[in-house]
Order: sequence, then structure tokens, then C-alpha cells
Amino acid sequence: MLLLGKIALGFAGTALAGMGLLCSEGMIQVNVVQRQPEGHHIRVMAPALLVPLGLRFAPRDRISEASAEIQPWLPTIRAALAQLRETDDFILVEVNEPGQHVRVAKSGGSILVDVNAEEETVHVSAPIRAISSAVEELAAAGPSPVK
Amino acid sequence: MPKKIRKLALLSALALSVASMAVAAPKDHYLHIKVDGAEKGESVNVNVPLSMAEKILPTINRGNLHEGRVTISHADMNGVDLRAMLDAIRTASDNEFVTVKQHGQDVRVAKSNGNLVVHVREAGEDGHNVDITVPMKVVDALFSTAKKDELDLGAALRALADAGDTLLVSVQNATQQVRIWVDSRSSQD
Repeated sequence: MLLLGKIALGFAGTALAGMGLLCSEGMIQVNVVQRQPEGHHIRVMAPALLVPLGLRFAPRDRISEASAEIQPWLPTIRAALAQLRETDDFILVEVNEPGQHVRVAKSGGSILVDVNAEEETVHVSAPIRAISSAVEELAAAGPSPVK
Repeated sequence: MPKKIRKLALLSALALSVASMAVAAPKDHYLHIKVDGAEKGESVNVNVPLSMAEKILPTINRGNLHEGRVTISHADMNGVDLRAMLDAIRTASDNEFVTVKQHGQDVRVAKSNGNLVVHVREAGEDGHNVDITVPMKVVDALFSTAKKDELDLGAALRALADAGDTLLVSVQNATQQVRIWVDSRSSQD
């Protein structure tokens, strides 16, 4: 009985540690609500660690192409992300037009994108650390990564 | 007892110094851009921390922009020695340097209270009203590079952060208003 308890405790500990590791980079949230009679409501909440991990398994040719395009802008993206991590919360861009409101903001350690339109509302939240990891993963997939 | 008091005094001094350091820490300044379309009720607001712009700028090496500096070709200058001209303005006292009035257009360039000020007034329905105010410290920073055909945008951003709250540009016509300013607030509310 004692042995079974120890095994159960081991499993629970491993599962807990795994969950902790999976959530270590925060969570990505996507929330889409369609404002139609039979509109969909899509809600996704996933560990941000899955993004750079998923990039590893993406088709190489596609990733290389994207990597080549991002290479010249890597120093700029890195500098922007590093500064975003350090600055206080702020609204980067806000666009208002009849029937539509778009907002891109930095809040906590995440970038938030909110679109409030007549047909649908979209909310995306991504941790800056996860964005950095994804960018580095993408950069590493290129022919000659810029350091 | 005196030992306790000494300890308390030391702790108080430490707390005070930490508090004063926190108060003295420079607050980040933000560059704000606001575009308002009067007719359709559209608006675009952009806020960028100056410290962020300062760090990003040197990483962009495209066209005439390199390492936070922009190169101006001689062809763009039409033979005008901008550096010599601004040097003359810098050393001059507050004054109106240029006044042009022609065909419904009124242009004024002046130096006032340590700022370089440009006003343009255009008559008519499509006429623009333009007001540009640039602190002379920022102008000095722009021309602080050794090379004659370069403007140091990075140094200008740093000077702008030191200059405090400033309305830099205001452009207005019948349908649109554009404002660019710097202050220590992270939003435009």
C-alpha cells in the first residue's frame, strides 16, 4: 500500500512538474466571437511553449523561407522585444473607425491585440517571452542566423 | 539603548536614500502621434516609448538610415549649407528669421524661448495650418555628428527625452488633424 502511494506521488509530481514546465512561458489566448445568429465562439488557451516547439516540427522549406525573410529585421525585432519586456504597460496603437476599433497594447508580460468590429470581436494575448522564443526558433532555421 | 537608536538611524537613512533614488529615477517619455479625421470619425493613435525608439533606431540599416543616423545627399539640399544656417540660428537671439507671404500662404520661421518654430498658414478650403516646434537642444543633437551630410536621429531622440513635455508638430486642415508630441504619459487619455 505504501509502495502504491509512493508511485502515485511520483506520477503526480512528474505530472505537476510537466505542467509547470509547459506553462513556464505563459499562456497564449485567442478568443473570437462572431456576432451572427449562428456565429461561432472560438476560445483557445494554450501553453506558449508550444509555439517554438511547434515550429521545430513545421515543414523545413516553409520555415526556411520565413526565416530568410525575417533575417534582415532580426536585430530590430530583438531590440523591440527586449525593450517591450522592460517598459511599463502602454497602448502602442489604437485605431478607431466607424464600426471598428483595433487596439495593440503591452500589458504585463504580454502583447494584447483587440479587434472590436461589427461582425466579430477578436482578442489575442501572447507572452513576449514566447514571441522571443518563436522568433529565435525561426531565426535558427535560416541558412545563416544573425547573432 | 544608544546602539538601538544608532541602528534605527542607519536604517532610516538607508530607507531615505533608497526612496530618494526611486524618486530621482527618470520616467520614460513617450512619443505620441494622433491623427483625427473629422469627416468619418476616424482616429489613429500611436504611442512609442522614447527609450524603445532609441534602442530600435540603431538596428535599422536601410536606405539612408544607418546606425541611428540619416545621410542627406547634396542633391536634396539644393546647395544650402544647413549646418551653417542652423549654426547662425543657434547663436542668434530670439528673432523671426523668415517671413514669406504670397498667394494665400503665410510662412514664418523663428527662434523663440529656446525653440525653433515654424508656422505655415494656407488660405482656402484645402489649406493647411502647420505648427512645428523643435527645442534647439534637439536641433543641436541632430547636427552633433562629425559628418557634414548626416543627421543624428538617435542623439535627437535622447535630447527629446530630456526636453520634457513638448508639442512638436500640429497639422490641421478642414478634414484632418495630426498632432505629434512628447510627454511622460503612456496613453493619450
